Amino acid sequence: MCEEDFFLEEKRFKQYCEEFIKHSQEIGDGWEWRTSKDLGDGYLSKTQFQVRNRSIPPDLKEKRSDNIEQALSTHAEGSLDDSQVAGVCATEEVIRYEYHVLYSSSYQVPVLYFRACFLDGRPLTLNEMWRSVHACYQDRLQEGPWDTITQQEHPLLGQPFFVLHPCQTNEFISSILTSSRKYNRHTNYIVLWLSTVGPVVGLNLPLSYAAVAPEQNTNADAVER
Amino acid sequence: MAEVEEHPVPASPQSEERSEAGEEAPDGGAAAGAADAPPRPAGSPGTEENAGDMKKKIDVLLKAVGDTPIMKTKKWAVERTRTIQSLVDFIKKFLKLMASEQLFIYVNQSFAPSPDQEVGTLYECFGSDGKLVLHYCKTQAWG
Repeated sequence: MCEEDFFLEEKRFKQYCEEFIKHSQEIGDGWEWRTSKDLGDGYLSKTQFQVRNRSIPPDLKEKRSDNIEQALSTHAEGSLDDSQVAGVCATEEVIRYEYHVLYSSSYQVPVLYFRACFLDGRPLTLNEMWRSVHACYQDRLQEGPWDTITQQEHPLLGQPFFVLHPCQTNEFISSILTSSRKYNRHTNYIVLWLSTVGPVVGLNLPLSYAAVAPEQNTNADAVER
Repeated sequence: MAEVEEHPVPASPQSEERSEAGEEAPDGGAAAGAADAPPRPAGSPGTEENAGDMKKKIDVLLKAVGDTPIMKTKKWAVERTRTIQSLVDFIKKFLKLMASEQLFIYVNQSFAPSPDQEVGTLYECFGSDGKLVLHYCKTQAWG
């Protein structure tokens, strides 16, 4: 089976991001486009809070914001005694995630950078980040954690970020795009890629992104979840 | 819309299907958090009643992408509450992949639903002609 390579040019990257942002704005998903001051480069950015119970995988459901309010109000209650506080902290933790999508000209693919910290400002360590990877990816992660998530300097901000390794991106994207091209289906590269790798690190795209395309051709138009 | 359509896959009990395909149907209980039975081939007796919206199971058509092995049985009746992750585990076992090999599922060949997404929801959004078409791809997603 002949597969083409779908290397992403930077210009196309920006176009896909524009489409992506537009949809994000329509549904209030919180993504924004940021440009770096010195260089002309831009990237997608989103911040979100996740509440995690330490004994179960990250809560990935839509009710995230309700849980956060509940968790924050619990933390804020001055009347909790030490044992109650210890009880709360032992079971729940609120983590602030920041996700950036940058273009890599060397790999010619988008790359996911992210960082996370607890409410008190303490950043997650690499080990904590590995442990926070969704349960369904742990087997693969443990085979090669250093192949998966490492810490690097953010190319534009110069601060330490976690990065999901992009070496395989072109390969899996090409598989899907080769197939979808046969059906003349317009696929937003960013949506395809981010929906695949995002859940590994707690980032989930709402279903309506599946319909991001100039031509709408399915009843996915009716999605409003 | 409410009827299960005819298709070439024999409407046979699961055990017969098993020996025909030469593979063991996986134990559905192995899936995280799901104690329900593995999906049965669509069209097997007793899967659906008439009321379309109240169907407990939906028809899923699985299509392989790229060099991914093709499943001998492509059409399955799947419980609405089954998650994408559970379906991934099922396909991996059916294809005898290792736990650490990765498999991803796509709708519209353009979007990967998150692992905890329920198949019933996907059917409501992306289903047509009484079934949900999902593409699956064996690939490394990072490295």
